[in-house]
Amino acid sequence: MNKKAKILVVDDDVQHVDTVRTLLENVGYEVDYAYRPEKGIEKAKAFKPDLIILDVMFAGPPGPDGVETSRKLNEDPDLRGIPIIILSGVRKVLDLPFKLQPDEQWMPVKAFLEKPIKPDKLLAEISSALEK
Amino acid sequence: MKLRTKTNIGILLVFCILAISTGVVTFRWHTNHAIKGAENRVRLYIKAAWEIYNSKTDRIQFALLVLAEDDKLKNFMLDRRSTDLRAIVLEQLERVRREQNMDILNLVDTKGRVVLRTRNAGVRGDDVSNDPMIRLVLKDRRRSGGTVLFDSGRLQTEGEDLVRLAKLYGGESGAMMTGAAVPVKHNGRLIGVIQMGNLLNGSVEKVDRIRDSLFENQRYNGKPVGTATVFMRDLRISTNVLNQDGTRATGTRASGEVAERVLKNGRSWTGRAWVVNAWYLSQYDPIRDPDGQVIGMLYIGSLEQRYLDERSRAVLLNLGVVFGGMLLAVVVFYLIIRTILSPVHRLYQATRKLSAGDLTHRIDVRSNDEIGELSDSFNHMAEQLLKDQKEIQESHAQLEERNEELHTTNRNYMEMLGFVSHEFKAPLGSAILGLYSVKDGYLGPVSESQTRVLGSVAHSLDYLNDMVKHYLDLSRLEKGELRPHRRTVRIKAEVVEPILSGLRPAVEEKQMVVTSCLADDLTANADPSLLRIVYENLLSNAVRYGREGGSIQLAGKRRNGTVELVVYNDGDGVPADKINRLFKKFSRIDNIRNAREKGTGLGLFICKEIIDQHGGSINAESEEGQWTKFTFTLPAEASVGQPLQQVQ
Repeated sequence: MNKKAKILVVDDDVQHVDTVRTLLENVGYEVDYAYRPEKGIEKAKAFKPDLIILDVMFAGPPGPDGVETSRKLNEDPDLRGIPIIILSGVRKVLDLPFKLQPDEQWMPVKAFLEKPIKPDKLLAEISSALEK
Repeated sequence: MKLRTKTNIGILLVFCILAISTGVVTFRWHTNHAIKGAENRVRLYIKAAWEIYNSKTDRIQFALLVLAEDDKLKNFMLDRRSTDLRAIVLEQLERVRREQNMDILNLVDTKGRVVLRTRNAGVRGDDVSNDPMIRLVLKDRRRSGGTVLFDSGRLQTEGEDLVRLAKLYGGESGAMMTGAAVPVKHNGRLIGVIQMGNLLNGSVEKVDRIRDSLFENQRYNGKPVGTATVFMRDLRISTNVLNQDGTRATGTRASGEVAERVLKNGRSWTGRAWVVNAWYLSQYDPIRDPDGQVIGMLYIGSLEQRYLDERSRAVLLNLGVVFGGMLLAVVVFYLIIRTILSPVHRLYQATRKLSAGDLTHRIDVRSNDEIGELSDSFNHMAEQLLKDQKEIQESHAQLEERNEELHTTNRNYMEMLGFVSHEFKAPLGSAILGLYSVKDGYLGPVSESQTRVLGSVAHSLDYLNDMVKHYLDLSRLEKGELRPHRRTVRIKAEVVEPILSGLRPAVEEKQMVVTSCLADDLTANADPSLLRIVYENLLSNAVRYGREGGSIQLAGKRRNGTVELVVYNDGDGVPADKINRLFKKFSRIDNIRNAREKGTGLGLFICKEIIDQHGGSINAESEEGQWTKFTFTLPAEASVGQPLQQVQ
């Protein structure tokens, strides 16, 4: 790894963002973050990350959810191709009555991960996503 | 059959038996009574008949006694040579004979020879001492009377015309004569006998007098009520029994049986006798001459039909009274039974109504007997039932209300539980990630004691995380939000494999071997997310409670439209007496060896709920200290009528 890989974390949970940031920086990634999806897209354009970690549900004023954001990112010519991992506390179908599987059209992401997650698993998924 | 019908039939039966037996007894009694009565009357009749029969004899005797005192007659008897005197006496006696309408009037001397004959006066001097009447007077010097039998010689002597007359009414040469003979005395010395009599043959005077006195010549249904007959031996010589052609039945004979008894044995004969054209209750008495010889019979017959009809009338009257009384009794009984049974019927109808649910129906109690008491207690019972029903309804309503309250409370509780659990999720997520980052050394070296403490904190957080997951599922189950959205699920690829990959670190840590015999194309008609929850619970249990170095086996197969799935693990297992409690809410099987591995007590309950909602079933088997095996079923295909859930 010549150059530090850049990871953008988009999540509304401040503690979570802190933890993920600390972990990733400690294992050698360069990390930026955003608490709102709209802000995340802006940050992505400026930060040009190698990987984006997205939450699904965001508290606060109404806006796009994580899945919608993943589609927007994929539609943006500047950002298309950046791998996305969704890391969400959504208990899958119980909260959202739709299929939560990575899907080219509907949810163009590399992986759908569920909180809580152990660092081993998270780091393995990140490595795997960056390799592709 | 109804009680009333039974009772009525019973009463009728009893009365029928009574009526029949009374009828029979009455009939027999009346028949006996009528026959006996009739026989008694016939005996009386014949006594009276004898009186009448003999009365003429007495009159003749009286007349003869007067004649015997006549001086001319005495003188003639003392000296019969004077022809003048003979002519005078003859004329005198002949006048008497004609006046008295007598057939013979003779004077007999003490030797028994006829000295003067009024009829057939030319013949005299013949010996009549064999005439019992004459012989008795000569012997006893006293008057005598009765009936004697004249042989044809005597009859011839008495008069040619008498022979013809006798023949006309009997066909025999002899004849029967009734009359009397009286001694003629002079100064106490017997000087002769005077005899007077009537021929019975052809004479109807006696028999008609008897009939007229006793029966008043009445007729009954065209037949004479009574008849009288005089027999010379067994020959009817004087009778008012008529032949079919209306002539008197003179010249016919009595039956052998009667002749035998009466003529030969000299005894009376009483009984039923068929006379010409009807049955008569009859008596035949012997007629004796003064010597006591039986020479004929006196017959009296009384029409039997009259007594039978009398009996019939009496029987009818009697039975009429009896049957009338019985009919009245039946009616009275019927009314009594009806009076008794109608409250029973009302009671029956009331119980019918009560059992049909009409608790307000009451019986109008009119009597104060047992039925009345029964009705009373029925009313009490109905009252009590109504009261109880009201109470039950009230308490039922209260229960419903309370139940609704409890439901609401539970829903509120579950909502709060869900909310709290959900709020736990985010902080738990970051806490677990952070803690493991430190514990696993990603943030710098960690000492051994730090690792141990961090490990136990991590365990607690994992447990807390399980609880949060389960409570969230539970709250959704209890609120009824967990409805399966079914489709065809590939069990291995869509459900089992992702879960196994998530569990791999834990499996490896315990050095367990997972063997899956699930075919790639094994599918079930199920909600994949819910099925995932089931497998997550079963598999994480298998790992958590499995033996280190042991095996976990997965299997599944289709059978008759269902899919049967098995999750097996080596391990301590579950005691047999506790295996049924596994699927209960908050049930925990305490296990000292696995004390560290405390479960939430909800996982298997949630599994069972989910499988129930799919129409399947789940059960557990275990060999304590050896293994545990869960088997559950799911439908293989969508059942008819079940909407297909197209999940986007």
